[in-house]
Amino acid sequence: MAKRILITDDALFMRVTLKNILTQNGYEVAGEAANGAEAVELYKQLKPDLVTMDITMPEMDGIAALKEIRALDPDAKVVMCTAMGQKNMVVEAIQAGAKDFIVKPFQPDRVVEALQKLLAA
Amino acid sequence: MKVEYVGPFAEAAVSVMKMVLGTTPERGQLSARPQIFTTQQINIVCGITGMVEGLVIYGMSMVTADRIASKMIGAPVVTFDGLAASAIAELGNMISGNSLALLASKGFNCDITPPTIIRGSNVKITTLDIPALVIPLQIPEIGEFEINVSLQERRRAAQSVA
Repeated sequence: MAKRILITDDALFMRVTLKNILTQNGYEVAGEAANGAEAVELYKQLKPDLVTMDITMPEMDGIAALKEIRALDPDAKVVMCTAMGQKNMVVEAIQAGAKDFIVKPFQPDRVVEALQKLLAA
Repeated sequence: MKVEYVGPFAEAAVSVMKMVLGTTPERGQLSARPQIFTTQQINIVCGITGMVEGLVIYGMSMVTADRIASKMIGAPVVTFDGLAASAIAELGNMISGNSLALLASKGFNCDITPPTIIRGSNVKITTLDIPALVIPLQIPEIGEFEINVSLQERRRAAQSVA
């Protein structure tokens, strides 16, 4: 069965781009969230296998959402997908439980590799 | 405003565009701009907060915006809709985000706000007390793209460093 992914990004363009990459590689997009608060809500409803998470978003940012999702489900697999690649941001995300950190702009292969590695089991 | 804040944005713009648009933009002459200026047809506004703070505005013509969006989406943009606007905003977000890593390596830790798009050619923008420095980029086969950087070191951060 196809693994189910929840996409989180405030930019419609990024959600469409990620959706194309994921569906072309055999994943199912379980849902799309436009900010951190929506991601937390959809995570509860959809119980996806993995979440892609932007950081800079209105309402609730991706780091806060990552922490809430990990509090709800300590096994949650969240991959950060953001334009901000500075070291302190990467360290903060990994310490909060992010499984990988992808800096935009990215090549589709980078996303697919990260997902394959995390969802191999 | 210090010129050292500008370099990271020019550098990031070139590397992001190389990857996203598949072409290498040419950097033009850096110039200063007064605190009040008239915008281009399409403007992406990014707020910067942290050790340096202010605004970065990416300006371009409608034609340039159409061409950039078409390239990013992978299909011609017929009407400049929500998806096209979002692509242009995301380009600004990626340039700003990548600049932050370069600023952080110079010791300035900052954060960015989600981008805002301003459409309309006769909008006057006032950057308060911070004059802007402008880097023009010429993107081959796409058009001109202008980066307005108006940033200053945060007072409190400056004192704690001293």
